[in-house]
Amino acid sequence: MIQLLVKQYVRSRGLMIGLMLLFISGLVSIYIGKLFLERQANTIDTTSIVQKEQIVRHLEHADSHIGLLLYYIRFGLANETPALSGLAIGHRDIRLPAQLVNIRNLEEQKNAQELVNPLYQLLGNMDLSFVIIYLFPLIIIGIGFNLVSEERESGVWSLIKSQPIDCKEIFKKKLLIRFVSVLLVLLLLLVVGMIYLHIPVDQSFLLFMSLSFIYIIFWFSYIWFVTSFQLSSNQNALILLSTWIILTIIAPASLNNVITNLYPVPEAYSTTIESREGYHSKWDLPKEPTITKFKETYPEFEQYNHPDDQDFSWFWYYAMQHMGDDESRSYVRAMKEKLQMRDRVSRVVGYIMPSIHTQLSMNTTSRSDMTNYLNYIEALEAFHEKTRLYFYPKIFQNTPVDQEDWQAFSLEFFRDQRQVNWMLLLPLFGMSLSLIIIANPRWNKNLMR
Amino acid sequence: MRFEKISLLANHTISSILKEPINKWLVGLLFILIAFSLTSAFTSYLDHKHIVDHYSEDVRDLWENNPDKHPHRMAHYGYVVFRSHYPMSFFDLGLNSFLGNSAFLEAHRQNSINFSRVSLSNGLLRFGELSAGLILQLLLPLVIFFWGFGLVAGERESGILKLIIGQGVLWSENLIGRAFGLFLIGLLIFIPTALILFVLLLFTSTSDFFPEILSSFGITILSYLLYLLVMSLLAVWISAVSKTKKAALVKLIGCWLFFTLIFPKISQVAGQVFHPTPSKIAFDAAIEQDIVKQGDSHNPDDPLFSKLRDSVLAVHNVSSTNELPFNYSGFIMSQGEQLSTMTYREHQEELMTLYDKQNRLISWTALLNPYIAIKNISMSLSGTDFSSYRHFDQQAEEYRYQLAQTMNNLQMKYISNVITTSADKDAVISRRHWTNYPDFEQSFLSFSHRASNVNLSFMSLALWLSALIALIVYRSKSLSTI
Repeated sequence: MIQLLVKQYVRSRGLMIGLMLLFISGLVSIYIGKLFLERQANTIDTTSIVQKEQIVRHLEHADSHIGLLLYYIRFGLANETPALSGLAIGHRDIRLPAQLVNIRNLEEQKNAQELVNPLYQLLGNMDLSFVIIYLFPLIIIGIGFNLVSEERESGVWSLIKSQPIDCKEIFKKKLLIRFVSVLLVLLLLLVVGMIYLHIPVDQSFLLFMSLSFIYIIFWFSYIWFVTSFQLSSNQNALILLSTWIILTIIAPASLNNVITNLYPVPEAYSTTIESREGYHSKWDLPKEPTITKFKETYPEFEQYNHPDDQDFSWFWYYAMQHMGDDESRSYVRAMKEKLQMRDRVSRVVGYIMPSIHTQLSMNTTSRSDMTNYLNYIEALEAFHEKTRLYFYPKIFQNTPVDQEDWQAFSLEFFRDQRQVNWMLLLPLFGMSLSLIIIANPRWNKNLMR
Repeated sequence: MRFEKISLLANHTISSILKEPINKWLVGLLFILIAFSLTSAFTSYLDHKHIVDHYSEDVRDLWENNPDKHPHRMAHYGYVVFRSHYPMSFFDLGLNSFLGNSAFLEAHRQNSINFSRVSLSNGLLRFGELSAGLILQLLLPLVIFFWGFGLVAGERESGILKLIIGQGVLWSENLIGRAFGLFLIGLLIFIPTALILFVLLLFTSTSDFFPEILSSFGITILSYLLYLLVMSLLAVWISAVSKTKKAALVKLIGCWLFFTLIFPKISQVAGQVFHPTPSKIAFDAAIEQDIVKQGDSHNPDDPLFSKLRDSVLAVHNVSSTNELPFNYSGFIMSQGEQLSTMTYREHQEELMTLYDKQNRLISWTALLNPYIAIKNISMSLSGTDFSSYRHFDQQAEEYRYQLAQTMNNLQMKYISNVITTSADKDAVISRRHWTNYPDFEQSFLSFSHRASNVNLSFMSLALWLSALIALIVYRSKSLSTI
């Protein structure tokens, strides 16, 4: 019998066209992911070249003080782009994949954004996660909304009912065939993506796959649940489409509004002002407090001092630059906490919103989420401090410029090494299971009506 | 066509749709959603305004309270400006969340405008942002499609259509009447929205600015009415050419998906492929390279600047820069600023031309896609489109340039040539010069400018409307009643 059901399914032209369209959109999205990865790689290469070139150029005036040279020279840290992020780009496309920073005040340097046409940001990228989260459910709705009602409305129903077979089993099989066909398309897309984007088959990729599977399973369970009420095709279509709109458009967008209003970030403005005040005003103030404070932070530089008879020294200058970062620190921390809070709240809400949960989890798995960005910024701060501390003694002692091997400073990489969190599968697993458990007795009850 | 028949059919459509309790709920829900978005966007508009006012005042106070000092220190101390949002921006958030809000302006360099909302978002923004404009553009047509898909196809299935046409009602009367009914139900949601918007707008601005807002508001409302009409006619037309209700629904949902999700995203990708734009690092590096080529004002042996020095010395008939009647390093910096700014602006212009090309590609697709047409109109008139942002960007850059040059001029005028470093305690000028430098005042693009930016989109809506009416009037006769 299952063969007959498969035959019936494959012969329905509309459904096959639907699956075909899904597959094509998936291919386009993978191509978009490829473009994105190439652009990232390109930008990182350019950054590495620019870093080398500016070092060479500034060394042409190598007769100057090393403090002056380091005023200009910039050092780079890249945020490694995993191939998997081609499938879930997140906000990676608007963030810099690599930054060059000098050892002066970091606050004024670290918040730069990638140049992307804002209108294009609004229209948004179409990555595979988008195809999975938006388009797959629509097709699933299209092939499932009239699971039973079709038979009822076409009059075949009384024929089936009169047969000595388990009717529920038929529909279970019908839905299962549809499920397998959608799963095959998804699997094919994931394999194409894996090969075309050179994604390593590691835990992250497997989790990404499982997340997309469980999301599909959720939608099929939901269809099973909705059709258990045995309503008309029209009513089913209305219910399913409304759910889709609520889950993919209204709920996430409202949540975004609420979170933005709930956790405003005026700190973004304060940091700009504070960091500027923090060091510029030091030109007009006595130099002792700046130096004392600097030595409190870094006692290892106790032996250095600002010469009393001079208006300017590189020791004081870099201490003063550091004060900019130091004095805006509380705002920076507050801002970071708010961003984490925004993220945490949306994740919690995501436990009951499959679309939000899947998007955020896919971003997490492919390292293109907020946490990745915050981790990178933290790494950039550490990198900045490491570079500063390396050069401070040389500046303070006025080490000749040519004693340093400047060519050794090439682009460094930050790798986000978070554990792959398999627990991310649980919310959708639980939801799907409950839907099936609730739906099953209803199926038995309503079917014979 | 007879008016009474049309109004009869329109009335019938309205009552048959509103008879269903679920549709009343739908109207109510959609309206609540709009009211929620309008008020929440309005509060965040007010919050933003408050923040901008507050911090701008802070920045000004800090600027004016700087003690006497060397003007070049002030040029580096610089200014921070914040982007005010257009008073109608809360209606359609448009690009606002993707645009930076604060810029640190200083001498010698153009810093990027940072802290857009998207940079502070955890990825939810990818799902879109709920604004009244978006709901009217995206969800209202979908609801109209829901109500409209069965209007003709359903009657064809049940055989009523044959009766209606048989009674002497013209096809065109039937279709236009139905579409008009749909449109009027759409107004049930749209008119209260417009009223709330109008009331909120009254709170946003001063009276002299109000004519601007009023024109933006008026044309926006008219455009949305056109859009609603287009969507109602489209729903009825698709329903009329479909054999069954199911087929009509599938086609309409397909249209909606294509217009709102697939088509814009695909054209976005096409734009990126046809008009690739540079990354920030490539952009910055290109500017730096050009500036290095021009010469280095800090290097005493630089050919360009030594030539400049020789000619200045010759004109003033002196042998060393110390004898010049003005501060020489101030002069050099003002020359350098002029050159580097010119270079920066050239590159910026180039980048903007690329963005314009990309955006024009999207504008052209508006002819095929009424959703993009209304989106462009709505953004532009709400002051949340790219040109409005560009306008701010240019003002900020101009302010930066004037600030740097004013400080250079002060240096030329008041600082002696024997001073070697700006850290010298004797090389200071009075702080009243800071107070004299005017505060940053942001202006908005005028209504006529913003309206003319979206000519193509107005045209698109007009074309869609006439095309659909023409279809209904001339092609509907050949439709079958069974």
